[in-house]
Amino acid sequence: MRTKQEYLIRYKDGNLYCELADIWIDPSKPVKKALITHAHFDHFTFGCEEYISTKETAILLKERVGDNIKIKTFEYGEEFKINGINISFHPSGHILGSSQIRFIFAEEKWLISGDFKLQKDQTCEQYEIVKTDYLISECTFGLPIFKWDESNKIANDISKWITNSPEKTSLLFCYSLGKAQRLLNEISQTNFKGNIYSHGSIHKMNNIYRELGIDIKDTIKIENKKKMDKLKGSLILLPPSLSKVSYLKNFKNIQTAFASGWMSIRALRKRSGYDKGFAISDHADWDGILEVVKKSEAKNVFFHHGDSEALSKYLVEKESINVLLFGK
Amino acid sequence: MSLKKFSELFGDLDSINSTNNKIEVLNNYFLSNDPIDNSWAIYLLTGKSNKRFISGRYLKNLFSQIYEYPQWLIDTCYLKVGDSAEVITLLLKNKTNSRKKKLSNISLNELLSETIPALSKLNEEDKNLEIKNIWETLPEDNHLIFNKILTGTFRVGVSIGLITKSISKLINIEEEIISHRLMGDFKPSIDSYEFLINKNINLQELNSKPFPFLLANTIEDKIFKNSINDFQFEWKYDGIRMQLIKRSGNVSLWTRGQELVNESFPELVEKMSHIKDDFVLDGELLVWNFKEQIAFDFSLLQKRINRKSPTRSIQIKYPIIFIAYDLLEINGRDIREIKLENRRIELEKYFSKWQIKTENNFSDIFKICDLIFPKDWPEALTYKEKSRENNTEGLIIKKKTSIYSSGRKKGIWWKYKVDPMQLDAVLIYAKGGSGRRAGLYTDYSFALWKDKELIKFASAYSGLTNIEIKELDKWIRKNTIEKFGPVRSLKPEMVFEISFEKIQISKRHKSGIAVRFPRITKWRKDKKINDADSLENAYELMKKIS
Repeated sequence: MRTKQEYLIRYKDGNLYCELADIWIDPSKPVKKALITHAHFDHFTFGCEEYISTKETAILLKERVGDNIKIKTFEYGEEFKINGINISFHPSGHILGSSQIRFIFAEEKWLISGDFKLQKDQTCEQYEIVKTDYLISECTFGLPIFKWDESNKIANDISKWITNSPEKTSLLFCYSLGKAQRLLNEISQTNFKGNIYSHGSIHKMNNIYRELGIDIKDTIKIENKKKMDKLKGSLILLPPSLSKVSYLKNFKNIQTAFASGWMSIRALRKRSGYDKGFAISDHADWDGILEVVKKSEAKNVFFHHGDSEALSKYLVEKESINVLLFGK
Repeated sequence: MSLKKFSELFGDLDSINSTNNKIEVLNNYFLSNDPIDNSWAIYLLTGKSNKRFISGRYLKNLFSQIYEYPQWLIDTCYLKVGDSAEVITLLLKNKTNSRKKKLSNISLNELLSETIPALSKLNEEDKNLEIKNIWETLPEDNHLIFNKILTGTFRVGVSIGLITKSISKLINIEEEIISHRLMGDFKPSIDSYEFLINKNINLQELNSKPFPFLLANTIEDKIFKNSINDFQFEWKYDGIRMQLIKRSGNVSLWTRGQELVNESFPELVEKMSHIKDDFVLDGELLVWNFKEQIAFDFSLLQKRINRKSPTRSIQIKYPIIFIAYDLLEINGRDIREIKLENRRIELEKYFSKWQIKTENNFSDIFKICDLIFPKDWPEALTYKEKSRENNTEGLIIKKKTSIYSSGRKKGIWWKYKVDPMQLDAVLIYAKGGSGRRAGLYTDYSFALWKDKELIKFASAYSGLTNIEIKELDKWIRKNTIEKFGPVRSLKPEMVFEISFEKIQISKRHKSGIAVRFPRITKWRKDKKINDADSLENAYELMKKIS
């Protein structure tokens, strides 16, 4: 068995790092070269000398970091070489532009899953099964209590939630990039035909999605605070950061909900402070993680981004898969 | 009507915060379902029965067996979810065969009056098979309800008060009447539901039922501005609040939790039945130290309350007394609208009459409460401070002109409790919470110094704000020394002020002391662990009191 230092990709200062290529994956501190799996804030940082990502991620990244960053883009499946290592992006189904990253060196394959889901999502490319020897996977929802319903079922629940209270303004909190657009896409296919408003941060992302050819329903940007109390019967999408009394008091007669995978647990729903929770996630559920681990044919698996203890033990005991620990 | 409707009702009630909306949802349910299902719904929602058919542990084991699931994995999930019924519901998802949902139209009534009672008659093997069968033929939406009923953990944010309001609105009859009808035993049946929504009020049928209790509020500063003569002062006993009723010759004893407890206290029922008059008394049941004429500790009362048909020796070992402090009805005449001071005159009048007339002397089991007459507020305060000496919790202060209304009505009755005792202690263990607090470390154990060692003296879980809980949870995860299952031992570093009501010697605890109602009253971030109190301080506190 190799020591940790001998792995092609390992943890360094809390980030994934490939020494041979001197390249970092989703680093949380400024570095020379950064591969970015997707444009969520916890997967990139400002100030890297060079970024490498898919084209869609690059556009979203520029929106968030600024136009003047140096960024190189590649298509899904397109191989490029750094220090003799073949690297390629593959769809991870998480949000628009999100990717898994595969490294091939000396006939050894490594796959970094990035954030991923297997569920159908019309706003991004479907997850691609990629074979590998080593898999580094996220496991945000790595317990068997997490099993997602089809997203159209959740969208119908949301539609019912709004139309059952026509006297109220329905505030749905969700992440502004990815989740919001997926919800909009799904909700436009339900019976809810009322007005949909979105907060500026979401509105901006909707526009980018649309420019990139994704079918996103038109929403009205929430601007004039004075009118916010006249929105009964409509749906308003807001980022979770605005779920505070000082902002909510702008509205009259509201009901609130949060769209997140964590909402499948009653205790978390209750504690969240929202009236209602819709369990919809852009991460894989338990079955999804197991499926990816199995179909990737990886002999060795590392987990990060989540509670991996139970998942690792399960894979070792039940599936005889070698689960390794990162030395952080 | 199907169980599905009830599952939806449960989901709705669980996600609505406004009382008015909850009432609306409840009434829509009542209007669109059979009386029998409605009566079961009320029975479940108000927690009239939390009978446990099987334990949460059993449920988890069974699932593990049937689906060859590792027990440790279920336990890990439980730590996140905090409720066995819910864990199993989540794990059952997509597991069951969707083709043969023969139970898709089962009604709440069928489930509760046939399916589940039938389960308890089976031997273990058949019972397990039957539960598996129900899981696999019941639509998924209903699993949570089923599992919760099985494990007796059916709790949702619906109080009796809410049902009362809802029915009252439904049939347009005052809440007092509905609340009266909902008191005590509620046997789910078409009759009981129809009685509940009967628009004609029949006094006869309400005969054995208690009045809604009037409750005291926490003391407010503004009352000290009033003349002391406007108030009646009583000791606040630490017993069980009850109404003792005798109507048409029958005695019934009701707790504030609306339980009929005649069977636990037969000697009281027997003695009171010799009184000639009919009456409704409001008072307190205590285990009484006749030698010193003070109450024994509440823990002795607990030995009586859960025991039906106590033997003669139990009755002697834990002698009870009912101390009446109010008279609400006398010989069929409801006097709750009369001023308290006049009700007190009636109470004293009848009590002395009964003492003379009753052949069977009842002074060893029934008396009326003594009043206290402080000259001014400072003296009232002195009484309050002395309350520990006679094993009471402080004073109850009642406006002399108050009528006996219901609920926690403002501005007429107050409890003036003696200040709690406090010690500063060091946090040494934390355990994962359950229910709403699942996934967070919210159950804490605290220690006091004994020489150079920290000895555990109390566990507490209430008193911190949600923000503090989250902050402490983070700290706990970073400062764990060892894990033992759900419990973590922690680096001794954090000091908390712990308040409690009572302190006494206990052989069962390593510290040698036991405290009652311990709770966290302050996170003493300003204190280092060396500033925490010692066991010696605790013993001194104990001496000071006794």
